[in-house]
Amino acid sequence: MIEVEHLSKHYGSSTAIDDVTFSVKPGEILGFLGPNGAGKTTTMRILTGYLPASGGTARVAGFDVHDDSMAVRQRIGYLPETPPLYPDMTVEAFLYFVARLKHVAAGDRSTRVASAMQRCNLLDKRGVLIRKLSKGFRQRVGIAQAIVHDPAVIILDEPTVGLDPRQIIDVRNLIRSLAGEHTIILSTHILPEVSVTCDRVTIINQGRVVATNTPDQLVAQLTGGLGYDLEIEGDGEQVRQALQDLAPVQSVQIVPAEGQARQHLQITTEGPEDPGREIAALVVGAGLGLYEMRRRQVSLEDVFLQLTTTESAASDALEDGEAIAPESQEEAIASEVPSPEAPLADEDPSSPDITT
Amino acid sequence: MGVLVSNIIAIYRKELQSYFSSPFAYVITGVFWFISGLFFAAILLGPTGVIAQVAAQDQFGGGAPVDVPSQFLIVYLGVIGSLALFILPMLSMGLYAEERKRGTLELLATSPITNWAVAVGKLLGVLTFFFTMTVPLLIYEAIAFLSADPPANPLLLLVAHGGLLLLAAAVLSLGMFVSSLTDSTILSAVLTFGLMLMLWVTDLIASGVQGPVGEAIGHLSLLTSYGNLIQGIVETSDLVLFASYIVLGIFLTAQSIELLRYQRS
Repeated sequence: MIEVEHLSKHYGSSTAIDDVTFSVKPGEILGFLGPNGAGKTTTMRILTGYLPASGGTARVAGFDVHDDSMAVRQRIGYLPETPPLYPDMTVEAFLYFVARLKHVAAGDRSTRVASAMQRCNLLDKRGVLIRKLSKGFRQRVGIAQAIVHDPAVIILDEPTVGLDPRQIIDVRNLIRSLAGEHTIILSTHILPEVSVTCDRVTIINQGRVVATNTPDQLVAQLTGGLGYDLEIEGDGEQVRQALQDLAPVQSVQIVPAEGQARQHLQITTEGPEDPGREIAALVVGAGLGLYEMRRRQVSLEDVFLQLTTTESAASDALEDGEAIAPESQEEAIASEVPSPEAPLADEDPSSPDITT
Repeated sequence: MGVLVSNIIAIYRKELQSYFSSPFAYVITGVFWFISGLFFAAILLGPTGVIAQVAAQDQFGGGAPVDVPSQFLIVYLGVIGSLALFILPMLSMGLYAEERKRGTLELLATSPITNWAVAVGKLLGVLTFFFTMTVPLLIYEAIAFLSADPPANPLLLLVAHGGLLLLAAAVLSLGMFVSSLTDSTILSAVLTFGLMLMLWVTDLIASGVQGPVGEAIGHLSLLTSYGNLIQGIVETSDLVLFASYIVLGIFLTAQSIELLRYQRS
């Protein structure tokens, strides 16, 4: 449905995107992930025909975005980063305006507008002036505006930015419900968004595509392992060697816990095997008290940081990986939707300097 | 073609609706009606007005008979033309500047509609709004014309107001271009006002410059062409001049919006 080949865009001497290639199959949701300034918006603007590319080609529904711009525009629904809304119009009047603008036939307009409002839960607000709507509702009007002409392709630039947790869940559900009949590209720098909503992820950094895969495979491919955090009573040295001898275990670290006679064991494993059962058996069999045992899955965030930070920062991130993950997890819970598997990179001060 | 027309109508209706729901447009209209009403009374009935002057002339029995309605119309619409110079930049200032500021230009630029169609729709919208602003003036004048004895030719009124609309279309078209250059409405209004003053005074400049150059500049004067039309003189050259300004404004607007895509945003 969307084929992008060797796309590049230069502004004077600076390069916004360079040799970007990816494709999206019909009905798929592609997450476009990258730090701010990575070139997500530029790529999307080229796809919508807003910006001309400096090189390469992009085709949407079989039409070249530059040569057949009007045909492409008719088949695309686009929500820019700031929803393009006229504050002095009512929701319904605005959607009628967009429907007319996008060549929805006169006879279909009222059904299309009604169905867009219904999908976005806007029927109660149809007669309200847009300037009187809250941010969450404006965002929904923005999405309604993008789907009102029933486009084959929907492009959403950071659709959940600035919304509260409840609204974020609503918008994500809405996006999920649009998949299948529409092909969707969604940009974000928020990681849970990707694992929750997208079928595939393209990670872009400094204008280049650094990885494309499903969220699960991306994690598996780049980390290939997991780990366990244990809290025990007694001396961990007793079991260290036995743990090391387990096939999947790569390393065992012992950290004394504050006070008492307790210790933390940090076990890192390799490969797809899960040695949880053996670890527990060994610890208990050695007569140690087992107080906590938690599986630590390397999150998409770690993958993201690894792929998008500069080389030195990336190796730091890898070394500190174990320390970063739990810390940012707490923050994620405090600042946004609880999503234990994939903490937020967004607004995470512990993230190494993400270059733009 | 059908698509083009429906695109233009979509933009036109949106523009018109936004003027009619904007408090600012109502304030401008109110001020315009108040001032134009004052001038109407002063020019027609005031102590130095047209009627008083003609009465004085009659008393002393000098000179040729005066066509009061047409004399009045020339003076009155001359004043309204100057007043429009202040009003029109305020109507045109937001045409694109607002869209740029709110990010809605991105919606227009990613919709299947050409820059030309957007510009034409916008110009027609704002022009229609200005026309509704002048409707009360048309009514006062019609009353004055009908009460004249012998009744004046209503065609004169139509030609003169047609001239006012052409003048407005030319000013608004250039104002629209200026508005497309910036995302500040105030800056857009000030620049448009400055540009209009320049065009307005081309007469003065032309009379200061000798030879064919001065003559050429003189032909660019909106004031001269407007002056002809409100006297009921319809000349092709004046119509062409207005049409040129209008088309130039639309053309420059479409180009400047196209150029925006090549700038780093």
